[in-house]
Amino acid sequence: MNNKAASSKQTPAVRQQPQAAATASQNRTPQPIIQNMARVTDPKHVPKEIRDQFLKKIHFCSQPYDFNDDTKNVKEKQERSQYLQELFDLLKEPNFVVNLVVPHLDLIIEMIEKNIFRPLPILKKTATNGEIGMEDDDQLIDPAWTHLQPVYEYFLQLIVNEQPDVKSLKIFITHSFIQEFLELFDSEEPREREYLKNILHRLYAKLVPRRKMIRKAINDCFYTLIHETYKFNGAAELLDILASIISGFAVPLREEHVIFFKTVIIPLHKVQTCQFYHEQLLRCSMLFLSKDPTLATFLVEGLLRYWPFANSAKEVMFLNELLEVLEVCEISKLEPLIPKLFKRLIKCIAGPHLQVADRAMCFFENDYFLTILKSYKPFTFPLLVPVIAQIADTHWHKVLQESLNALKTILKEIDYQAFDKALNNKDPKYLYIIQDAKNQKKDRQKIEEKWKNLTKQAIQKNPNFKEPIVPYSDTHIVGEHNGLNNGNITIL
Amino acid sequence: MSENPFEVLKEDMENEEVYLKVNAMHRVKVVATLLGNDKIKSQLIPYFESLLKKEDDEVLFALAEELGNIAQIIPNQSSCLLPLLEQLAGFDETVVREQAVRSITIVCGFLADNEIANTIVPMILRLASNDTNFTCRVSAVSLMCPLYARAGNQKEKIRQKFTELCSEETPMVRRAVATKIGEIAQFMDKIHVIQDLIPVLKQLCQDEQDQVRLLCMESLMNIAKILNSGENKTNILPLIIQSAEDKSWRVRLALSKIFADLAEAVGKEIADSSLIQIFSNLLKDTECDVRVIAVKSLARFIKFVSPEKLNLIVPLLQLLSKDPFSQVKQNACEVIGQIATLLPKEYSQSKLQQYLIDLMADDNQDVRRNAAKSAGQFASAIGPEALNQFVPFLKKSMDDPKWRVRKETMQTIIQLALTVKNPDVFNKQLESVFVMFLKDRAAEVRSMGLSQLPALIATYKQEWAVGNFLSKCVETLSKDVGSLYRINALYAIQQISFSVDGPVAQDRLWPIVQKCLKDPVPNIRFVSIRVAKSLSKKIDNQQTLNQIKQAINELIEDPDRDVKFYAQEALQN
Repeated sequence: MNNKAASSKQTPAVRQQPQAAATASQNRTPQPIIQNMARVTDPKHVPKEIRDQFLKKIHFCSQPYDFNDDTKNVKEKQERSQYLQELFDLLKEPNFVVNLVVPHLDLIIEMIEKNIFRPLPILKKTATNGEIGMEDDDQLIDPAWTHLQPVYEYFLQLIVNEQPDVKSLKIFITHSFIQEFLELFDSEEPREREYLKNILHRLYAKLVPRRKMIRKAINDCFYTLIHETYKFNGAAELLDILASIISGFAVPLREEHVIFFKTVIIPLHKVQTCQFYHEQLLRCSMLFLSKDPTLATFLVEGLLRYWPFANSAKEVMFLNELLEVLEVCEISKLEPLIPKLFKRLIKCIAGPHLQVADRAMCFFENDYFLTILKSYKPFTFPLLVPVIAQIADTHWHKVLQESLNALKTILKEIDYQAFDKALNNKDPKYLYIIQDAKNQKKDRQKIEEKWKNLTKQAIQKNPNFKEPIVPYSDTHIVGEHNGLNNGNITIL
Repeated sequence: MSENPFEVLKEDMENEEVYLKVNAMHRVKVVATLLGNDKIKSQLIPYFESLLKKEDDEVLFALAEELGNIAQIIPNQSSCLLPLLEQLAGFDETVVREQAVRSITIVCGFLADNEIANTIVPMILRLASNDTNFTCRVSAVSLMCPLYARAGNQKEKIRQKFTELCSEETPMVRRAVATKIGEIAQFMDKIHVIQDLIPVLKQLCQDEQDQVRLLCMESLMNIAKILNSGENKTNILPLIIQSAEDKSWRVRLALSKIFADLAEAVGKEIADSSLIQIFSNLLKDTECDVRVIAVKSLARFIKFVSPEKLNLIVPLLQLLSKDPFSQVKQNACEVIGQIATLLPKEYSQSKLQQYLIDLMADDNQDVRRNAAKSAGQFASAIGPEALNQFVPFLKKSMDDPKWRVRKETMQTIIQLALTVKNPDVFNKQLESVFVMFLKDRAAEVRSMGLSQLPALIATYKQEWAVGNFLSKCVETLSKDVGSLYRINALYAIQQISFSVDGPVAQDRLWPIVQKCLKDPVPNIRFVSIRVAKSLSKKIDNQQTLNQIKQAINELIEDPDRDVKFYAQEALQN
């Protein structure tokens, strides 16, 4: 069954091209250009035949073929690879580049565009009726890749090459070029993304006048990821490029970059597919903070705001990041975030997931964190002590129980009196975190009663009043309230 | 004791847990009802304002929704909610924004037309001109659609801004415009649609992002609906042609999906002269996903073109029924069945029948299933004379190793029998295939046949039921096949009993059941008891009734518990 049927549409014009290609191959000179060029005595005046030969080969390489079907146009494809190799070899000789390549940059860029700018294929798994439960970890490979790779390699070398100068290159690198180029980052082929990353990186480095535009296009790409698609295969690669861009930013940061940090870097944490690029994201965040430590509090705030739900792997990542970021924070600036921060940590420690709890316990091994804890003692002690004391006695896991007891000792050592006072406090406000649902309900009784009364009054006042439906209740699923099909859920 | 409602809300909002705050927020309309107009303005709104900065998105989402509810409490003064909603409409989080837009629309429902022109339109324009936040511009686009009709003399400004946003560099905004352009066109005068919207639609259809072009497709269809045939020809048709040749298969797929609706929207004339040709290319697309969807649309598309033009599609069906991709063939089956009802009989028979017969023998079970399904439609379109060609293949399908195929075939046979209504044809052709359900290996197929039996008996009367059919049942019962087959046959006899008169039940059916009451398998014995019981309702002859009673009575001491139970139950009534 041909599940991998051709993915690139052949327009009628294309269908005629094999013929054109055939005539081209009849007329071709058997000698590679490079050898002909080597015989030219005055490189500044390239003979017309050689120039024509060069242009013909570029033209030939611009023809699209169906690369998904190895049986079609076999001869042309072979010829194409050979020409690409010749074009590639020409780049090695500065003389040839100046006199042959640079004057025809327009055609060369066009050739590259025609090859790489294509609708990305969906790589389909062949319908193997594998055993149920068998994990299929095979990397999917785009069958066209072997034919695309030489073009990418050529493009990369062209940019790396010192001869084509900024002025001649920049006219081709327009906004729409960059936008189409960035769309390719969504490719499922990791090797393609690697090339794209390297090329874009070099372009950014080389084309100083285009930098702002490239940054803006990358921004748009991330906005789309954050607000619309929630998935983008090339996010990690783009962040890699950003990391080196960010490290080049001058201090103090320009406002534009600060906005970028707040509207892109921080919200990127909330995307469901965050784990695929978290490593790179963390690097970018830390680079930003190294340039401007005052941004750290915004990041802490963002992390607490977008804390993962029902995803313990992501929670562990967040904890790692949180600790790193806290170390950069100025303690006095943290004040408004302290309640949220410590409540989150307590929740992690008291939660059912061992790795998360373990990771959260590591915070207390960090000296800077302990300094934060000490600085806000009037708040942190009443919160931490009763909870820690209780779970230290009851925790189900032995190792964690030991470290909880160790933590108890640490807290005691920090301030014996405050510890005792907090422990004997009869109304430990935060014990609800480790309470079971029944007790929590009891605590709510009073206010629920008030609401009931008010609702009755409202009905008295307005007989048509409809009782509000609250989304979170025992008999009701929240998703139903918000509409599960609101398009905001990505199933990974 | 009377609580201050505002204090209760504030107390609950002090809570640590977000979900409790969300709950509290959803109770805001209790508070608003009790506070009354003035206090809503003086207390509640400033309080909400203070929440915007510090609360989580979940809470703000609830707030955006509840503001719409509060508007219903204070319909005359609901414009005081607008500043809050405007801020929420510019928020980063998509769901909050979208909810705010919905609530603004609710508020607008309570406003007079001059208020719309004086406050809402400036607000929309403000949002649309916000250069720093693209989210504001996206919300503005969504707001323009429902409010354009009421914008009065400000319409031109909105149109201008809308078209301006179409050339926006931010792709998010262009995507929003591409989705909404079809919607806003519904509210505009035709002249503005043609003058203002068509040019930008053209531009969007050539956007460098395939996502934008893809979103245009739906809008294209919506605009085609408002234009007349001539306008569609000059404005929409070129865009359809261009999109059908789009280099991105995603765009071609989106076009294929709406093709039938598009044909309906542009009318028969254009569909006949141009769309068939364009659609043919999509049906031959190199990307298999496009073909799958295109063939799916084809089944509806053929209804919107003139029958005489259909012969352009028939040759394509040959190609599609041999497609390497099985899903294409699956959908092609349906089209063949559909198209046969529209074409002259001889033509379909000579051109299409063979394809369908080939598809019935396909390697893929889903294709075979769909082919069997369509065979019924095809055969009834052509009439009884086609049946003798099909029956051998249907018979073969009943031997298919996959029960789903057999079930579909059985359904087809029954459908045909019910539409033909000709005892001759039925007896000669269909009956022999139909009775195969009695011996089928799959319970699904057997019960399928059983469930349709009453309808068949109603059509072909008692003569058939107690004649040929009964003898088949007896044959099944007498042969020592598995007990499940015999149970099925017994149930068939029960079905027969419902439609025959007393003497027949007594003379023909009872002797058979009587024998079964002594079957060695307990399950057959108790099924027989039940069948005997329904027989007894038909029979008047006291002697036979006594026989039945006695036979059941003997089973009251049966070693099997279930048989005992059913025997007792039967005797009680």
